[in-house]
Amino acid sequence: MTQLKYKLLPENSAGGILPLHVALVDYRDVLDAGLDMPGACQAVANAIDGPVAINIIDTSAVTTTSDGIMVPSAIRAMAASDRGKIHPEFGYIPMAEIPHTPEILEREPHLRQWDLNYPGRRLFRGPDVADKAVPVHNVVITGRACNNNSGTEMMHLVTMGEILMPYIGQHVIMTGQGRLLTGLSGEHISVGIGMTIAEKFGRVFSTYRYRAGDTAHGSGDQAKTLKCDIPCIVADKRTHASFVIAALKAGMIPGRHIGCSPVNLSIARALHLPIDLDNITPRAWLELESVGFSREMLESPAPKLTEAEVLDRADEILPGVVNPRLCEVDELVQTGCAEEAVV
Amino acid sequence: MRLMHTKLTEFIQRLQAAAVRHTPAMKLEIKGMENVRSAKMQSLRTGRIVNAVEEVACTDGVGRIEVLVRPRMPETMHTLIIKGYTRDGKAKKAIVETVDMLVPTEELDLFDCEEVIDRRPKMTVYTKI
Repeated sequence: MTQLKYKLLPENSAGGILPLHVALVDYRDVLDAGLDMPGACQAVANAIDGPVAINIIDTSAVTTTSDGIMVPSAIRAMAASDRGKIHPEFGYIPMAEIPHTPEILEREPHLRQWDLNYPGRRLFRGPDVADKAVPVHNVVITGRACNNNSGTEMMHLVTMGEILMPYIGQHVIMTGQGRLLTGLSGEHISVGIGMTIAEKFGRVFSTYRYRAGDTAHGSGDQAKTLKCDIPCIVADKRTHASFVIAALKAGMIPGRHIGCSPVNLSIARALHLPIDLDNITPRAWLELESVGFSREMLESPAPKLTEAEVLDRADEILPGVVNPRLCEVDELVQTGCAEEAVV
Repeated sequence: MRLMHTKLTEFIQRLQAAAVRHTPAMKLEIKGMENVRSAKMQSLRTGRIVNAVEEVACTDGVGRIEVLVRPRMPETMHTLIIKGYTRDGKAKKAIVETVDMLVPTEELDLFDCEEVIDRRPKMTVYTKI
């Protein structure tokens, strides 16, 4: 028998906010166990009864968040299992590798972070369109389990419960570098997750849909209520800020290269780094204004902070998460061991 | 060809007939298309489904049959017609919208089953699992 370690957030844990099990598997452990990624997902499925969202994460790779911040790890594959079964057509999908080419760097200027901050790492975001059996969403579904938006939004399709797990929080779980916040998403995250950037095989959209400065929601003043009541597990704000600061120092401008999410705007404003206000679309402004981020506010003077001050004061500077509870990773995450028969 | 597609009414009748062909007391219930009033069903599959009903009906120990109709694809885009009528029943105004629905896959209906035989053709090239 080979053994495969995995990190587990059990169903109903974290104060009852997990609607299904969430299992994160280190890609290195998959290789060390002599498995391939589908086999690893099946091993985890065999070990856990009930609905499970499974992500395989490679800590030697790099990814982008939906608002364009690069993070030094990546989801390589995602699966959904239920009572030991992974649906053969809809239950598993690998993420596509984005080769490092002059063309992609030209087409996606937010990728300038790649060589500056994370050189040599392989880039993965969402799946290749050719691999998608489910036509619209980047989703895998088996029975009651649903793992969506390339592994960051998980749902129980019978109770209809949902958990948002934005990627930086998963990075924290895999690396142990940082802490976690649990709570409800709130209005700022509801607006912020719509402020995407345009990518090929992105985690939300497979094609170049909504550029930096625009909104994927297009919901006006209702964008703030769209996804404000969803339980979420995110990285602590200090850790999240550190990745945004790294992106800004690589020359990223919110509204031009990276998404104009309230978090990106808040940090850029605090550091007196540029924001491309003119490139933010009118419909994105409507959504930002609905949560207090008007052009007037962003242009008004604010004390210039150092990076260290932004990190120390991240909890007050970064908006988002209602009723946040700060946790150590091992308060929420258990370690499991799946056995796989050697064939 | 006049037999290319099967009328919905005939589809239902053929399933009911198959259930009782060798087992006269067998009960059959179709669930999942209660709101479908008219349709043309693919004849090629209708014949296979009729055979499947007969096969299940003749299985030792089976006392009743459900035919559960589920989307083949668990994500389906739907047209919503929000239609307003006057008090005297005249269709006055409609707004047409879309909504995407994600639903559980068929495992939900199969977990509790001793034996499952899947005769569906695969619909995607990615079949690593």
